[in-house]
Amino acid sequence: MSVSTPAAPTFGHDVLRRLREIVGAEGLLSQREELLVYECDGYTIEKQVPDVVVFPTTTEQIVQIVKLCNELQLPFIPRGAGTSLAGGSLPVGGGVMIALTRMKQILEVNLRDRFAIVEPGLVNVHLTQRLKGTGYHYAPDPSSQGACTIGGNVATNSGGPHTLKYGVTVNHILGVEAVMPDGSVVTFGGPAEDTPGFDMTGLFVGNEGTFGICTKAWVRLTRDPAAYRTMLGIFETVEDATRTISNIIGAGIVPAALEMMDSGIIEAVEAAFHFGFPLDAGAVVLIEVDGLEVAVDQEAQTIMEICHSSGAREVRQANTPKERLLLWKCRKQAFGAIGRLSPSYCTQDGVVPRTKLPEILRLIIESGKRHNLRIVNVFHAGDGNIHPIILFDERDADQVQRVLHASDEILDACIELGGSVTGEHGIGVEKISFMSKLFTAADLATFLKVRLAFNPTGLCSPKKMLPTAGACGTEQPIVRTGVRAAM
Amino acid sequence: MSLPTLAAFAEEFTPATQAELARFMADNAASRQRVLYPVGGRTALHFGCPAVEPGVAISTAKLTNVIDYPARDMTVTVESGIRIDALNELLRQERQRLPIDIPQAHRATLGGIIACNAGGARRFGLGTLRDYIIGITAIDATGTPFKAGGRVVKNVAGYDLCKLLNGSLGTLGMITQVTLKLRPIPETTRWLWASFGSFQEIETTLEKLLLSATRPIAMEVLDPSAASEIAAEARTSLPTDGPLLGLAFEGGAHEVAWELDTVQGELKLRNPRQVVITPDAEADGLWNSLTEFELTAEEPLTFKANLLPSRTMEFLELATREQISVQAHAGNGIVIGHLPDRVTNAQTAAGLLTPLRRFVRQYHGNLTIVNSPETWKQDIPTWGEPEPSWPLMQRLKDQLDPQDLLNRGRFIFPAPIPMDRG
Ligand SMILES: Cc1cc2nc3c(=O)[nH]c(=O)nc-3n(C[C@H](O)[C@H](O)[C@H](O)COP(=O)(O)OP(=O)(O)OC[C@H]3O[C@@H](n4cnc5c(N)ncnc54)[C@H](O)[C@@H]3O)c2cc1C
Repeated sequence: MSVSTPAAPTFGHDVLRRLREIVGAEGLLSQREELLVYECDGYTIEKQVPDVVVFPTTTEQIVQIVKLCNELQLPFIPRGAGTSLAGGSLPVGGGVMIALTRMKQILEVNLRDRFAIVEPGLVNVHLTQRLKGTGYHYAPDPSSQGACTIGGNVATNSGGPHTLKYGVTVNHILGVEAVMPDGSVVTFGGPAEDTPGFDMTGLFVGNEGTFGICTKAWVRLTRDPAAYRTMLGIFETVEDATRTISNIIGAGIVPAALEMMDSGIIEAVEAAFHFGFPLDAGAVVLIEVDGLEVAVDQEAQTIMEICHSSGAREVRQANTPKERLLLWKCRKQAFGAIGRLSPSYCTQDGVVPRTKLPEILRLIIESGKRHNLRIVNVFHAGDGNIHPIILFDERDADQVQRVLHASDEILDACIELGGSVTGEHGIGVEKISFMSKLFTAADLATFLKVRLAFNPTGLCSPKKMLPTAGACGTEQPIVRTGVRAAM
Repeated sequence: MSLPTLAAFAEEFTPATQAELARFMADNAASRQRVLYPVGGRTALHFGCPAVEPGVAISTAKLTNVIDYPARDMTVTVESGIRIDALNELLRQERQRLPIDIPQAHRATLGGIIACNAGGARRFGLGTLRDYIIGITAIDATGTPFKAGGRVVKNVAGYDLCKLLNGSLGTLGMITQVTLKLRPIPETTRWLWASFGSFQEIETTLEKLLLSATRPIAMEVLDPSAASEIAAEARTSLPTDGPLLGLAFEGGAHEVAWELDTVQGELKLRNPRQVVITPDAEADGLWNSLTEFELTAEEPLTFKANLLPSRTMEFLELATREQISVQAHAGNGIVIGHLPDRVTNAQTAAGLLTPLRRFVRQYHGNLTIVNSPETWKQDIPTWGEPEPSWPLMQRLKDQLDPQDLLNRGRFIFPAPIPMDRG
């Protein structure tokens, strides 16, 4: 069976009226000015205005929206907070954007059974705040946690600084309720572990919105660490810093977090937060160990010794909880501070084996030089997950072209070094062309079959993640004309 | 122990390479379309519904290569036929491990334990296999190899088929190669056991332990009969004067000593009957016996139940009233139970299991059969009661193995009625 991409629908009054009947007048945006906010997410290089955005407040409303879309053959796409850095919530297929931000309740917190049930639009940090003082927390802490939603985290399998020790989103999701692309409601897993059958929850996490709409999640709660030791290793060069990171992991130590910032980032965050970072350092590494009070000092000591023997200029310790929080604030809001350096930026999300960090950082620096671009780095070093941030001005078409060349070069190098092109941000629309470099045609065909089991019509999040047109059975590569040229 | 229908496995193919296996499976799909039964170490062939149709066992016995072990990256890539003890030995040389408890490690293979999603007591502190598989290669029923994930510890490119294949009982593809994320081996492992007057007292204790100053990595609960069996097997002693709570700690010697001390203080407030710390030299042996308990089936039937952790003690109370011997991974709500010897037919077994199944269904769980005489399986649902997501699983199966060639009839999917029996 081969069906072409769903035809561009026309949003007559009739469609809007029927959607309004489902979500109410206050639950729908259709004026062009209002829709502009939704033309892109955290990946700003590509833009596309959705035809309509709806804001359901219940699962039942989503069921009705999805059924209507099926009836009228309209594509639809879920959206959380729109912080995706890969164009995950870009409505490239057109149609109805389903924004989950009004479904943001914490439905249950069950400490005895160590889970919470949340709605998809809940902002990640709100769960953390709600749990404060209970002795438990929700471990995945993406740097964007002040804005991004749990539904978005489930869809992208988000990571964060502390995923080095605690694992990424999928390691903390027990179950999911979802509206399937045909409008049925299914629950995978739940508060009890090991539901018989396939691990559908595990498969669902990271689907990037292509398997349906997550309407509820059962999340695992993790016991708070009893104690922290947070250190800042200061290095003359990026090379010294990355070698130290490799040496820490190589010694069999898994700290709670291991995050690197280079001089460009130090400059920006220092200007923004006045922490007292050394502006003459080549790089700093934020290192956190956590655990029992009796154990953390020993572990911190061992790490400091490795830092010194690997060439650290100095290792500082955060002496108070306040100092620790400020350090983390600097790290988590580093992206925000980049605005001080340039009007636009583009972040890559490659991964390399941790021992290859010195090599990939060297390549990034060379690539910046070759293309005459400024690249700064702040990333989850302990996982080998790099985030080179390329600074540019989007009004300069030539510069934008060079940004794309440099990005491709860096991601190709990650593949060559045995890594991947995305550690946590997802493929979205941004990295679709890399899928056939990472995977064989047979791998991709298998992915497609899996998607067809969930999403046989392709109406749900078309043109995402897989290099196919996204509709039923079609396997032509997407030709994204205009996208790159327009930049 | 019951044996699978041997007739179904009468023929066997043991490829020397992954490519040879792919060719064999491609030929099969294109010509005779015989049912294929993947086998590894044969430690879990009793698991699942019996194979009733004749077919060919395809074995990973010769797929044992270590492809790459970059120890400083804490990952390893191996072929799926590697035995678990061989893998453990390899990792031990670098002071690393896959922290999953595997019964019969001298026979079980990596591919086999993944297909069955094996695991034990450590899951409370260290998670399950799904948390360690970062890359996987499998060959589908048409002989086409496919992979997902990669060799780095963090990677979201493509769908997470590592999760899909883990626990899929060989029904979607023959797993041929796996990349694992590893952990350092801790300096020390210690067990502490406390016996109580009732399961209810253990539940109160578990509630208090939720805010313990310590961080146990396992929380086991045993009834006295399971405890004496496990202790005898391990040549150690455990209290048998009441239901037993065991807590395991791992880490630096200094840290673990502090935890043992502290938790004893916490437990004292709950009035245990006895508290015993397993001597260091016996800790490993005890851990082995706890892991083997699931498969030490002289008993007529072994089941696994899952439910809310908070209801697990009530469940144990219900089960032990019928002399079922039980082991619970109490922090995770997982229970292994052996029916007593007096149960000699399927009807009696089903009669005992019905109220237990009803109980776990109330608390979001299910009850599956780990091992039983094959003939009983017609009367007792091996995979428990249908879950709401099973129809979607069927759609996945139809997509990936439309001819139903892989492990036909052995998993949750309804078995076709075989010619010779129907
Ligand atoms: C400053 C900054 C820092 C960041 N740091 C990190 C980090 O440390 N780690 C990390 O992993 N990511 C990070 N990100 C990326 C981003 O925050 C994550 O990908 C996040 O999970 C997206 O959540 P969201 O709610 O914004 O989802 P959106 O951007 O709205 O959507 C992302 C994808 O999820 C789908 N989706 C959203 N909600 C649902 C739902 N309910 N059901 C089904 N599909 C859905 C969308 O269709 C889309 O494909 C960062 C982003 C920014 C801007």
